Amino acid sequence: MLSEATRNQILIVDDEELIVLAMRRYFEGLGYTVDSAHELEEAQALLANRRYNLVIVDLRLTGIGGVEGLQIVSDIQQRSANTRVILLSAYGTPEIERESYNRGADAFLHKPKSMMEIANVAVNLMEQR
Amino acid sequence: MTESALNRILQPGAITPVYQPIFRVAGTTAVIEGMECLSRGPKGTNFESAAVLFEYVRLKREESLVDRACIAAAFRGASLFPTSLRLGINVHASTLGRDHGFIPFLQSTAAATGIALTRVVIEIVEHAPPWDGLSFQSTLQQLRELGMAIALDDIGLGQSNFKMLLDVRPQFLKLDSYFVGGCSTDPHRRAVVTALRTLARDFDAEIVAEGVENAADANALQALGIALMQGFHFAHPLGADAVRDLCPA
Repeated sequence: MLSEATRNQILIVDDEELIVLAMRRYFEGLGYTVDSAHELEEAQALLANRRYNLVIVDLRLTGIGGVEGLQIVSDIQQRSANTRVILLSAYGTPEIERESYNRGADAFLHKPKSMMEIANVAVNLMEQR
Repeated sequence: MTESALNRILQPGAITPVYQPIFRVAGTTAVIEGMECLSRGPKGTNFESAAVLFEYVRLKREESLVDRACIAAAFRGASLFPTSLRLGINVHASTLGRDHGFIPFLQSTAAATGIALTRVVIEIVEHAPPWDGLSFQSTLQQLRELGMAIALDDIGLGQSNFKMLLDVRPQFLKLDSYFVGGCSTDPHRRAVVTALRTLARDFDAEIVAEGVENAADANALQALGIALMQGFHFAHPLGADAVRDLCPA
């Protein structure tokens, strides 16, 4: 049974501990509740049991090149069309970026991006609800 | 790069067993007949939630490894429980179908912790194949020959269907909380429970009602002929120490 959705629940999917820590501190400082997952399967297990307002995914974590790595976006949208999705990628091609939006991603950010830039996009997306 | 979550889950001591009492209810009397052994993943991680833990394990297709870790933890914790108590352990159907070393593992772990296998109830969870049907049946037969009872979890839901009932011939059918909650006020839920109770009797099996959260539902279940119950109305899952206090040997 899914836990009750909270308006300000964020899931960060990244295996770089320092990045996760930085994001967590930043968003928690703004009053958001933050979960983090270091593996794709961990993220999927969380998504199966909890509802999130926003999911931030580093595409590198999918370990899959090309559009196949965007399956997580489809998975998120299937579970909850109201969940916003931000993808981070250092190697995104125009094709991947286009396909990510086709699958329901709300933002595709090319790394490197500062914490402030990511947070601005995230907060704007969540405030659109 | 962080340590693999699976490695963390499999570290010694990472799995914490808790035990939910199963009561046999007769009138106003409720006697503890057994415990369902449940597992919590590493404290302070996402996997402390059993739902997240096992969803992750299934996605990684490592059910057998984690089943073994959970059972070992459960048996260690239960080693000083009264020998009259049955112990229900959750085992994925895929473990029974694929892990050819599972029976020897069960035997050695039970022996090391002083648990008689005749006390053990194997609660089969997540019945969706693919796994080897012949291997699955062979394992079930060996479990029965060793004196263990079999339970089918989540009866009435998902893959816990009539085919599984015929293939497994369980001694216990665990009635999901979906059908239990509100049965006191919902005649359709009572109709489903009645049908499953009749089915259980035709299979010489007993229903165990899960998720009993109030007296009204407990009374309704009794009226329908259900005697075995577990849920927050009776007791929350307990640590091993709390079980020993509740049920002195």
